[in-house]
Amino acid sequence: MKRTLISLWSLTIASNKMYFRNKAAIFFTMFVPIAFIGVFGLLSTSSGASLTLDVTNSSHSELSRGVVATLQGIKAFKVNQTTRADSSDKLGKGKIDLQVIIPEKFGQPGTDGQIAPSQIETYYNQAKPQNGQTANLILGQVISGINAKVSGTPQIVSLKSTGVKTNNLGAIDFLLPGILAISIMQLGIFSVAFAFVSLKTTGALKRIQATPTHPVNFIIAQAITRLIVGVLQVLILTGLGIWLFNFHLVGNLFEFLAVALLGVILFLAFGFAVAGYAKDENAAAPIANLVTFPMLFLSGTFFPRDAFPSWLSSVTDYFPLTYLADALRRIANEGAHLTALGTDLLGITIWGIIMFFVAVRVFRWE
Amino acid sequence: MASQLLEVKDLRKTYTNGFEAVKGVSFAVKKGEVFGILGPNGAGKTTTLEMIEGLRSISGGSVLLDGIDVQKHPYAVKERIGIQLQSSSFFQNLNLVELLRLFNDLYLESSDPLALLREVDLQDKAKYEVKQLSGGQKQRFSIATTLVNNPVAIFLDEPTTGLDPQARRNLWSLVRQIQQKGTTVIMTTHYMEEAQILCDRVAVMDEGKIIAQDTPEKLIRELLGRGFKPKQKVEPASLEDVFIDLTGKDLRD
Repeated sequence: MKRTLISLWSLTIASNKMYFRNKAAIFFTMFVPIAFIGVFGLLSTSSGASLTLDVTNSSHSELSRGVVATLQGIKAFKVNQTTRADSSDKLGKGKIDLQVIIPEKFGQPGTDGQIAPSQIETYYNQAKPQNGQTANLILGQVISGINAKVSGTPQIVSLKSTGVKTNNLGAIDFLLPGILAISIMQLGIFSVAFAFVSLKTTGALKRIQATPTHPVNFIIAQAITRLIVGVLQVLILTGLGIWLFNFHLVGNLFEFLAVALLGVILFLAFGFAVAGYAKDENAAAPIANLVTFPMLFLSGTFFPRDAFPSWLSSVTDYFPLTYLADALRRIANEGAHLTALGTDLLGITIWGIIMFFVAVRVFRWE
Repeated sequence: MASQLLEVKDLRKTYTNGFEAVKGVSFAVKKGEVFGILGPNGAGKTTTLEMIEGLRSISGGSVLLDGIDVQKHPYAVKERIGIQLQSSSFFQNLNLVELLRLFNDLYLESSDPLALLREVDLQDKAKYEVKQLSGGQKQRFSIATTLVNNPVAIFLDEPTTGLDPQARRNLWSLVRQIQQKGTTVIMTTHYMEEAQILCDRVAVMDEGKIIAQDTPEKLIRELLGRGFKPKQKVEPASLEDVFIDLTGKDLRD
């Protein structure tokens, strides 16, 4: 026991030094995500005010007026109320980003006196899908806020404050959690796969095996280092986002961190599966890319998944990065608590368990 | 026999693909000896060492080190020995003192890193990283890491391969210095001159078997006794002697 603790402590210190003294590792896990946020942050602040919405309110319920008022309150939107025909015409000419139709029955009580379910239709300009999708996402947040109020769940109070905060949501609020999720994935997969495979091929790992320490201690030490880096990534990226780009963390920072750490653990399992399976760097690179590339583009991190054909959208629903990005986004944007993120947390956990067993199964020390 | 530090009996290694790397090897090493395992590349020297060190699983036979069965208690054996691997690679971005401290912790020891570095003449390089060292310095540092736990025996796998004549001689004196302190040394090499100078006894391995085992002098006498005549006339000095005479014994790294 004493040996395990001392070995683990000493190996963790060594692993931290290896990591934080490695300029390339710092560059890819810290500066690249910051640069991403910087670029997207600047892009989104410049185009943030130019999201134009035409709203046609065919209903005259209190709820529908509330929706329109909420939309008008969002700084990123320029909201214009008009008829359906007029807005369709303007959308066709590319003059607006999103057409919003509130149906006649929206918010009206049904036969049982309860408010009947109804749908808001939106149409976006396919030539500028990102603007349309961003507007759609913000609208989605507004609607989910309303849904929660209407259903009268005990969360009604916390969601009220969310509604107020929602007013300021901009593109950065959708991008930052996604970029954070990507950074966590890259940290777990690439930083482990390459560092570990190189220790394997040079024989440095074998030298540790020649000591009386169980080599699993070294794997745990490597994982602890990545968890520390993960926490730093969350704090630095979130901090910079708030400070420079008006990012809003509506939810609880500790819940945000907890989900991020769960994500680090999940992708560490992927990373060790790759590192354990690959004989050398040449084998690790294609596997790591094969795993990360589809997720990079299809998990709704840069591009919202609503634009996907339905089959692709339902496949990507089950991507581990989709769960992570969604959970982070809902904490940041909606102020969701861990208890409300059951599906995402379950998805992350199941993937983590699967990859843990895959890693154990395929692992090779040399 | 109490004086036997290492007893290897009918040791075998068969890989899952059916390849027999070691085919029944037996030898014993006395306490305080320098024992050499000689042989061409692929003879099974490294595999034999790694099985003795508890780094590789044993397919057959037995190994007793300091009275401990390696197969049953690999960790207890690792606590008592020092291992230098052929590649001598270490963690990057850590300097020599930091690496020695790490090894200290892994063995639950508290040897003084600087004293260890002094022992291998690297005290000036305490803050250097391994990648900044020359080949000979790397091997010396690697030997320093094997001494952290005051081992009863150290295992050196081709410690002088790739070194220049000066560095090789320097390592020989280091090995002798370690032997004088009572540590048993088990080493592999394919330099016969080195084996003749350093080793009290040698085992010659080929194709996974030991084909001869004795002191270098006896093996030479036996050969001569069989009427062996060298193809070349042996000069009283070699070209290496000329080289050392011309360039001096001082280390160049």
